[in-house]
Amino acid sequence: MKRVYLDNNATTIIDPEVLEEMSPFLGEEYGNPSSFHTFGSSVMERISRARELVAALIGAHPDEIVFTSGGTESDNTALRGCSLLRGGPVVTTAVEHPAVLDTARQLGGPARIIGVDSMGMLDMQSFRHSLEGAAVASVMFANNETGTLMPVKEAAAASGEAGVPFHTDAVQAVGKVPVDVEELGLDMLSLSAHKFHGPKGIGALYIRRGFSLPPLLTGGHQEKGMRAGTYNSAGIIGLGKAAELAARHLSEEKRVAGLLASLENGLKASCPGAMIMAEGSPRLPNTSTVIFRGIESEAVLTLLDMRGVYASSGSACSTGSKDPSHVLMAMGLDHNLANSAVRFSLSRFTTPEEIEYTIRALSGIVERLRAISPFV
Amino acid sequence: MWKYTEVLMDHFVNPRNVGAIENPDGHSEVGSPQCGDAMNLDIEIDENDRIADIRFRTFGCAGAIASASALTEMAKGLPVEEALKIKNSQIADFLGGMPPEKYHCSVMGQQALKSAVADFREKRGQVADTVDSLLSRFANLEIVKVHPRWVAVRGSSDDAEKFGKMLSEKLGRAIDVKRSGE
Repeated sequence: MKRVYLDNNATTIIDPEVLEEMSPFLGEEYGNPSSFHTFGSSVMERISRARELVAALIGAHPDEIVFTSGGTESDNTALRGCSLLRGGPVVTTAVEHPAVLDTARQLGGPARIIGVDSMGMLDMQSFRHSLEGAAVASVMFANNETGTLMPVKEAAAASGEAGVPFHTDAVQAVGKVPVDVEELGLDMLSLSAHKFHGPKGIGALYIRRGFSLPPLLTGGHQEKGMRAGTYNSAGIIGLGKAAELAARHLSEEKRVAGLLASLENGLKASCPGAMIMAEGSPRLPNTSTVIFRGIESEAVLTLLDMRGVYASSGSACSTGSKDPSHVLMAMGLDHNLANSAVRFSLSRFTTPEEIEYTIRALSGIVERLRAISPFV
Repeated sequence: MWKYTEVLMDHFVNPRNVGAIENPDGHSEVGSPQCGDAMNLDIEIDENDRIADIRFRTFGCAGAIASASALTEMAKGLPVEEALKIKNSQIADFLGGMPPEKYHCSVMGQQALKSAVADFREKRGQVADTVDSLLSRFANLEIVKVHPRWVAVRGSSDDAEKFGKMLSEKLGRAIDVKRSGE
């Protein structure tokens, strides 16, 4: 069966070049980078190179990069570190990934969770007014469900003026859109390798020079004491290669945006009741959440799956949870519409044929499910 | 993907008894507060109080659609009282099992059936009340059975025709008065 993978915001295929780069470090090059002997310390040279490549992708200095196990750990390190250091609540948005949102709720008194408008855009005025006395402000770079690009530069500047450290969860943005930590004025940024064709279980936290943070994991002196634990050599080297390739392929994102537009236009034309979330807002080039009015998204996903098309949804049914996507609810959708949302996320490996196949499959599926819906 | 059985997937992909009944004897619209699913159900009841026809429409996941389809298959042809006894565990069994997270899907079908039967009884009650209010004018008419769409009587064809006209007028819809046992 044909396989069309349109769930790249969940994870991506490892670029074969990345896999090749990693492979020796899962095999014969098993030395511990922290060891004194050359068998281990030669691996450290490769780790330093990876650090340079990751730094280059986001306009940082290599010494500002701390390797972590991924986005969740990076977010936790940033938020928990600031809370420990300064006390006070976390200011964040209603549409964050749970790694930020649930951590914020657990820390330093009631979190200040700022709402968004129907485009998923941060309410800057409320944000500004919530900064006083906060431990840290955290605003995601791009939303994982809608792709909405947040006003990170503006939010970082507002935080700076209020004397509050600023963190951004850029897990969905890095590798898809240009990110420059200095130009944006960030204190901290989280990124994750497997979202841009690197391996799972590895990521990084950017910490601005001069900004100091206590570690989340204590123990060995790796990462200058910022992150204890034996180096994940293969993962770090894979992340470095993925960063190098992402920088090289960044111009291809225009092509991805073109494919996304043809998907959206195709669905609007062939599926009655189709509506694109955050359509008028600046968005990632690869992400589209489509509402199919009157039909439940898990039913759509199940029929798509049978045709080899893999997408995702934030519906209550597909996750086994009680509530549909907190992101779509925060954008003002009711239960039924939120339960009708299907997310398609593309990558530079997506082809025009795959998009055409998906549109054809979906128009049949939508027609079929609308025929048995009480709402149409 | 949930682990769905082949039977369940068949009922999801080829749902039985989809649609609506024109002038149904019982109609219901229910929703699951748990996950936002919704279902409309229509039933047609024959003179022996059996479910002669049953049609549904569902907004929901594969589990919800398959459960609704299964319920209609199980209920069709059963006396109303028997159909009401269908448990959601029986729906799950009919489908060869369901993931535990999906049990609530099968509950919605039961609620829909219960509510459609309640609607049938209410409609029948309305007809019965109207019959009662008019019966004093028909000394020679004996009521055999009342149904939302018809009333079976014993008596003259003249009386039956007149009674039918008055009933229909009062209820604002056509009620067929049939003479029984002839």
